[in-house]
Amino acid sequence: MNGSVISLLLQRFSLRHARLAPRASFLLVGILALGVAVFVAIRLANRAAVSSFTHFTDTLTGQSDLIVQAPSGTLPESVLGEIRAALGARPVHIVPVIEATAAQSQAPGEAAGFGRTTFTLLGVDLLTLANLASQSNLDRGYFDQQQDVGGRGARGNEAGAGDFWRAYAAGPQVWVSAAFAAARPETLDLVIDERVLTLRVAGLIPTAKDAPRVPATLLVLDLPHLQQLTGKTGRVDRVEFLVEPGPRAPERRTEVQTLLEELGRDRWLVTTPSERRESAEMMTRAFRLNLTILSLIALLVGLYLIFQALDGAVVRRRTEIAILRSLGVEERAIQLAWLAEAAVLGLCGGALGVGLGWIGAQGAVRAVGQTVNALYYATTVEAASLEPGELGLGLALGLGASLLAGWWPARLAARTPPAQVLPRGAPPAAGGRWQQSLACGAVAVVLGFVLAQLPPLLLGGGGRFALAGYAAAFFWIFGGGLMCGWLLPLIANTARSLGAVWVPARIALSHLRRPSGRHRLSVAALHCAVGMAAGMAILVASFELTVRGWIVRSLQADLYIASAGAQSASTDNFISAVAADRIAAHPAVAAAARFTAYPLSLDGIPTLFTGTDLALMHARSDLPWVTPPRDPALWDVSGNARLALVSEAFSERFGKKMGDILRVPTPAGVQVLTIAGIFADYGNERGSIMVDRAHLLAWLGDDRVTNVSLWLKPGVDADSIRSKLRVQFPGLAIFTNVKLRAEILRIFRQTFAITYALEVIAVLVAVVGLALTLTSVLLDRREELTTLRALGFARQELAGAAALEGGVVAVAAVAGGLVLSVALGWLLIYVINKQSFGWTLGFALPWAQLLALALAVVSTGVGVSYAVGWWGADLPADREQ
Amino acid sequence: MRCQASGKHSLRLVTANSRPLLAFLGLLRFPKSEMVPAHFQSPVLSVAAVFKNYGARCVLDDVSFVVGAGERVALTGPSGSGKTTLLNCLGGVDRPNAGTISIRGAPVHALDSMALTRLRRMEIGTIFQFFHLLPTLTAAENIEIPLQLIAVPAAERAARVAAALQRVGLSSRATALPGQLSGGEQQRVAIARALVHRPGLVLADEPTGNLDSANGANILALLRELSDETGTALVLVTHSEEAAAICHRRIHLRDGRIVAC
Repeated sequence: MNGSVISLLLQRFSLRHARLAPRASFLLVGILALGVAVFVAIRLANRAAVSSFTHFTDTLTGQSDLIVQAPSGTLPESVLGEIRAALGARPVHIVPVIEATAAQSQAPGEAAGFGRTTFTLLGVDLLTLANLASQSNLDRGYFDQQQDVGGRGARGNEAGAGDFWRAYAAGPQVWVSAAFAAARPETLDLVIDERVLTLRVAGLIPTAKDAPRVPATLLVLDLPHLQQLTGKTGRVDRVEFLVEPGPRAPERRTEVQTLLEELGRDRWLVTTPSERRESAEMMTRAFRLNLTILSLIALLVGLYLIFQALDGAVVRRRTEIAILRSLGVEERAIQLAWLAEAAVLGLCGGALGVGLGWIGAQGAVRAVGQTVNALYYATTVEAASLEPGELGLGLALGLGASLLAGWWPARLAARTPPAQVLPRGAPPAAGGRWQQSLACGAVAVVLGFVLAQLPPLLLGGGGRFALAGYAAAFFWIFGGGLMCGWLLPLIANTARSLGAVWVPARIALSHLRRPSGRHRLSVAALHCAVGMAAGMAILVASFELTVRGWIVRSLQADLYIASAGAQSASTDNFISAVAADRIAAHPAVAAAARFTAYPLSLDGIPTLFTGTDLALMHARSDLPWVTPPRDPALWDVSGNARLALVSEAFSERFGKKMGDILRVPTPAGVQVLTIAGIFADYGNERGSIMVDRAHLLAWLGDDRVTNVSLWLKPGVDADSIRSKLRVQFPGLAIFTNVKLRAEILRIFRQTFAITYALEVIAVLVAVVGLALTLTSVLLDRREELTTLRALGFARQELAGAAALEGGVVAVAAVAGGLVLSVALGWLLIYVINKQSFGWTLGFALPWAQLLALALAVVSTGVGVSYAVGWWGADLPADREQ
Repeated sequence: MRCQASGKHSLRLVTANSRPLLAFLGLLRFPKSEMVPAHFQSPVLSVAAVFKNYGARCVLDDVSFVVGAGERVALTGPSGSGKTTLLNCLGGVDRPNAGTISIRGAPVHALDSMALTRLRRMEIGTIFQFFHLLPTLTAAENIEIPLQLIAVPAAERAARVAAALQRVGLSSRATALPGQLSGGEQQRVAIARALVHRPGLVLADEPTGNLDSANGANILALLRELSDETGTALVLVTHSEEAAAICHRRIHLRDGRIVAC
């Protein structure tokens, strides 16, 4: 076959048609671009949110060869001597590190809440670093500040080391990033634990030319200062090891790792920076995958529209193709030319989609960042960048989707007979016989049901992905789409009597009694969009119902107190034992429950190790139990040292049930605990182990608390006590019961904001699809329209017929979509959510929302169809041209 | 070139020929060839000095004629002579650039869209070469549509549809879809549909052009009989001598002008 024939066909026919109908061409490119854009935007936002964290990890630990840290809590400084002695004369540098988080203090008048910028405070021994720098010609920037901070004059060469020592001796100082220095700070007000501290900015964090850019929210302090500020005097969060470079460095690294692992068995974990980074990526993998799959819906619906547009073009250009065939153009050439047209469309849509996606990502990144912040770890990303790989992916996606959608129309075009044998009459319906197969739809639905029973895919690091669940959703959407095409003749026959009183109805319903493949496809696409949107609404409503119930049961204290610095799921802010005791001793307080939570790595999987006064909790509060405890010893501190409660998410992630044994590593050795009960906790998806706080304190050697719950004496006004405590402890965030409940629900809704945005886009694309369907249908029926006009149909009657036709398509899609949504709601709640996050949710149907969605889709469908019908009524018929 | 290149619906005085303006003002007396034959009084269709251009190309050039009630007129001429354009103008689906067309006194050229639609419903029946039955409606439903458009009560509609089907010999095929009918049967249904609402004028565009000679002859005989029975005027565009032969008169067009009448 001659390639020039395809080129000729593309230039003289396909592209010429596109030029002759520029609006239609732009619309198609726009729809494809929208689908690609949604996917690219979510992908870029996901990447940005994760890379922000991994960038931090790289900055903090990227230079190290090995890291030693406690499985939970901190390590005593005494381990440094022990390790140095064990390493002997090996050329390895030991760098103890304290890491903490802090939030910028609340501005006057600013309401208490979560989500403010979180800074990471890194405490390193600057003297050790200085020695290290002078030994190995590393950057001595701490001492020889080359840059000025905020343009306040150079602290540079002329001042040099003298300035550093003066600053060092003056007490706690912070060194800031160049990005942060641009804001010209002289001092910084930070909430660290319960205190608000004003720290002077001493200079810039030095960076080597080839080192990663220092994150804007990183602050560096001298180790002893940060130990003192965070109440970790005599303790370190981790110890980093730098092996001297040289030809034997890899061997030494392995040797040191083995030595450290043997030395610290059960007391600490030995990891590498890359493992730390992977751990962060794995933590959010399920979340990002879920979001990516949602973002693909718009592309799928867009793909269907491309299919429909190309298929409509085959019908419209049937005569032209038949003439080409008569002139000797081969079937294959026509097929390839059609695919080439799809490819051009795909490339244009892909390129535009990448651009739009990048713009959309700037908005999405905030929403994704907020969710990551609330559920996983602090991320400070504000902008998403576009890289060549993403550009290529967007183009490939547009091209792939377009070629996939164009395959069937290309085949249809190639099979057009030559003009000599082309029958005059109605064009063939789009799609194959399978579209009309009820059995095919039923098989897909059954297959989906089978898939819904399968377990999740294990991602490593405790991550689980509900692959089979998503596949089940796909099969239900596909099967439901096939089956709901059958609603069209059902509705048309039921409403048949309408045709006797309103003549446009007779025309419209007659078409729907024998719906074309195009009608069925349109119903399927709209059904998919409605089903997904309504399914998501059911999930969110169920989630909200469950969370509300959980809040009511578990939040029963009058006041809740935490450090105002605790702004994300990974913040490391505590309240000192002294402050907690002072709060508990307030005369208005009847009872105070202290709660402590530490990150814990159990079998390499991140989770939380928490402690509270179980007896008090039993007496005053009511945990929502999944499996309630039966052993009364659990509530007595003298008998519960070997008992633990676990959250449902923990139980799912680690596969642990009631009565199972846990071996929890602590600085005081491995603790063997028996699971005595499983409770629901929708606050984190990493899961948690809860023990009596008295034992946790003994095992971890840390008396600080994460938060305090207060029950006030009868008749005491919670708001007035809150105000008094706020004055006494300005660094604490104090919530009344009502305010905390509202704040939790606000974060909850914010988490689903991006999901809603994606669903709205999918529904909009599907409604545009309905308009395109009717446009194609009316173009196919040009001669019929002329006949109807000749018979005396008025324009508004033709538009009315189109509106009814579109309306019935929308009604069928909404009816099928709502049934699908209930099925998807069930799947999302009981399979996908359970497998991904380990949470059991109740089931709620948000009737008002579903009704609003149904009315919106049907009325939009009717309106859009009327407009298309109005336009179509004026179409010139072929025979008139 | 005598044809006017005027804008839509506008009239211009042309020094060479002032007939359009005169016709518009009603001051023009029809020449003999444009008058209703004596035995067909009460004109149903009057066409006076109609001009139609597509850009610079003149398609109809000063066309005038009158058709009386019950009269059958054949429009003949070679391809491109303007027959179909004239038929479209008569049916109101296209508008002349100048001149007047009136059906039972209603000025087709000057009616707004709604009035034109009403006129089509009441006074015009159309028969096409390719039948153009609505493919998703049965034969009976196709015939019923014009009655429904003029709000004939359901019981009367049923009776008239049944009678029409019987008249065209298709009572047994009432529930058949167009795709299940032969070409001849489809054209019979189309004729029944064109006449069921008793219009004053039927416009037929090559009604036998897509049929074999036997079926064509049957259709022509049916058209003649029905026209005689109902007194409906018929304007029939055709190339066929057999079709032209059933008409009382023949108007021959060439290059948009009437050259013989």
